Amino acid sequence: MAQIPVQTIHRDPQLFYWILAPITVVMVLTGILRHYATVMMATAPKKMDQKTMREQRSLMHGINLRNNYHVLSKRSFNVRRDALTAAFESGAYLKNPDQRGQAPPNPLSDPSAMDGMMGMMKNQMAMIIPNTLIMSWINAFFSGYVIMKLPFPLTIKFKSMLQAGVATRDMDPRWMSSISWYFLCIFGLQSVFNFILGSDNAASQMAAQMNQMGAQGTPQMFGPGVDPDKQFQAEAENLAVIEHYSVLDDVETRLLEGIRA
Amino acid sequence: MSTEKDYQISPVVQESIVHNSRTLFNFQSLTASLFGVCAGILGLESYTGFLFYIISTLLTCILFYALRIAPSSIASGKAPFDTSRYFRGAFEFWTSGLSGGLAGFILTWTLFYGLVRA
Repeated sequence: MAQIPVQTIHRDPQLFYWILAPITVVMVLTGILRHYATVMMATAPKKMDQKTMREQRSLMHGINLRNNYHVLSKRSFNVRRDALTAAFESGAYLKNPDQRGQAPPNPLSDPSAMDGMMGMMKNQMAMIIPNTLIMSWINAFFSGYVIMKLPFPLTIKFKSMLQAGVATRDMDPRWMSSISWYFLCIFGLQSVFNFILGSDNAASQMAAQMNQMGAQGTPQMFGPGVDPDKQFQAEAENLAVIEHYSVLDDVETRLLEGIRA
Repeated sequence: MSTEKDYQISPVVQESIVHNSRTLFNFQSLTASLFGVCAGILGLESYTGFLFYIISTLLTCILFYALRIAPSSIASGKAPFDTSRYFRGAFEFWTSGLSGGLAGFILTWTLFYGLVRA
């Protein structure tokens, strides 16, 4: 089998200064800009009136009691459970007790629900607008150049993606054009942003997308369109089925064993 | 049930775990980029490059364990190579760097390979 000769392409070293460096610098600066734009656009949490606050906090109280019952003694757990279950089932903590049993209002007509959607829209825009701009900028100025060679071989399928705008049929798919350097920057600059901006930055769009996926997976607790009365009933049921034990049960035997060992 | 009860008897603070994992992630993404620079300057290609990445990441993990975790972990009576004092899962500790830093590694590897060799 004949050895395929390694392709060498003589490229102008100026390509580095006029294509590679500008794209990289622009990508880094866009990330920093996106981070600060997200910080600036973040809205402070809205002030809630007392009834809403009471509704949410009492539900949180129930959940916390369910998660941490093991630190309470049996008697105090029972007292808390009885009080909370009675209040949950009678609807004492509801925001508007006269609306029990009615269907929740349409989330689109609720003005308080619009805030969450606006925040999501803003984040989406902060990702889409710079991406579109940079993509079209690279396509307009830098398409058609071969600037680098990947250090690892790829299959022929990647050719159309990596060598967009370079219509050369027999070229090794390892050679990449400027648009593929852009894609590499999107994926790989996260560590650079970690270094510059600290780890909980909003610069990388990959991380932002991951966050959104995670947020969609868990249902919103106090979101619009959720009936708080149903949440209270479910929580009362959860509390009722707990079989209580305390971490202080048998603590004296554990202590004695620890001393003996 | 017994393991859950053990966790409740000696609880692990969630915030500290998150902080530890984040520190580890920062460290690993930074070193992954630096290893990419090394691999690019050495001119490694295809399999040797990825092998270099895997070996060096494992090496940083071992160094991280030996310098940061082992002194207080072994003193508190844990077995060697047991990271449960500071991290949730042992498997996660030893392998999270491989996937987390790969993109940064490939970026700097390509960049320096392109600058030095090709």
